[in-house]
Amino acid sequence: MEQVAIEMNGIEKKMRHKMIGPIDLKLPKGYVIGLIGENGSGKSTLIHMMLKIVFPDRGSISWFGKNYPQEIPHNVRCQIGFVSEKSCSEEDNLTAEEAAEFRAQWYPEWDQMYFEELLGKFKVPRNIKLKKMSKGERRKYEISAALAPRPKLLLLDEPSSGLDPFAWKLMIDELRSYMESGEATILLSTHIVDEVKRLADYVLLLHHGKLHGIAEKDSLMDNWKEIWVSGGTDLAEDLPGIIQVQQEIQGVVRMITTDCLHTEQILHDSGIPVLKTRTLELDEILSLWLKGHLPAGMQSGKGD
Amino acid sequence: MWIPIQLNENSAEPLYHQIESQLRSLIISGQIKEGILLPSIREFAGGLNCSVITVRRVYQDLENEGLLRTKQGTGTFVAKVGDSQREIFKREAVEEALSSAVDVGISVKCEEEELKQLFLKILHSKYHSEKGEGEA
Repeated sequence: MEQVAIEMNGIEKKMRHKMIGPIDLKLPKGYVIGLIGENGSGKSTLIHMMLKIVFPDRGSISWFGKNYPQEIPHNVRCQIGFVSEKSCSEEDNLTAEEAAEFRAQWYPEWDQMYFEELLGKFKVPRNIKLKKMSKGERRKYEISAALAPRPKLLLLDEPSSGLDPFAWKLMIDELRSYMESGEATILLSTHIVDEVKRLADYVLLLHHGKLHGIAEKDSLMDNWKEIWVSGGTDLAEDLPGIIQVQQEIQGVVRMITTDCLHTEQILHDSGIPVLKTRTLELDEILSLWLKGHLPAGMQSGKGD
Repeated sequence: MWIPIQLNENSAEPLYHQIESQLRSLIISGQIKEGILLPSIREFAGGLNCSVITVRRVYQDLENEGLLRTKQGTGTFVAKVGDSQREIFKREAVEEALSSAVDVGISVKCEEEELKQLFLKILHSKYHSEKGEGEA
């Protein structure tokens, strides 16, 4: 595997109502990784541990290949951008400009021109306190401020909540151009499947505090398909990755496979024509994956 | 440079394969000319809603075939396509299309002779279309 932005080994954390981990994962550098999971699955806690806002009970984390048992050193911390699920209340009484001025002191790489450009594009209101802004406006400020120092790693916890569809599209475009350099990495926690579809290279699935694996998004799209063939349900016994079989009318059987390439190859070699193929929608794939059907070739609990 | 690639999500063909074969035929057929700078990997991937892993794989494959070349720090360009390469590609494309047409014939249990006659008839009507229409 390529260079790693963040690596977690054996991470465990007991929360009040749930247990997170053990989690092993690697975030490959230069990619957008979509973090998916139901409410309360531990997505925010996972991100907070990557920032040492929350300390794990067990296990180790490394940032760009190094461990920091104490604090994350300032020169490393300032390469990490963060958009929190909840806006930070310390900035409530500041305007966007004032808050940025404060933040810029901490980030040597802060790019004020870029920040101004983003505020302009997102139409963030000027000269009003952040707490007076609408949720979406505040969100747009947060995204702009997180991008302004051009961090090497950007942790986004539901960045799009509250954004109107136009601002949302703009955010997607800005995140894409931020990724152009190939040096940056984004971990994007979201409930919006379309966001993953448009942005992510990898998908990371978290369920009840456990990692269900990390998969290449296109590999999911290529392999999770619904196919219709002539025959009976017994066909499924000899095919790989079949997770659903249903007899339809007139000797047609409908199957869902997680290993379409091999399934189609075997059918082709056996002279059984495929009548129809449909790629599952990403949300269908994710919900089947959540139910415990792992992508082909993936072992449970493994992060890579 | 905008590249006209049309993905069919409901095909069993993997995404990288669809992109690769369409891009290859755009280059070999001369629709994308030598020296043209292709979009960056992230930009191309964004336009197709696919991942950079897929686009990188396509660029690498086509570079290995000699159709693309990458200049460090500048980007990926279309390379010169040789005449023999173009000829091979033309023949392969036609062979592939004919082969799948024959597969259709076999699947509906067409006899070899019947298929041959059909082929000659279509061939004749396509190459001598004015006359053909006149008779019909």
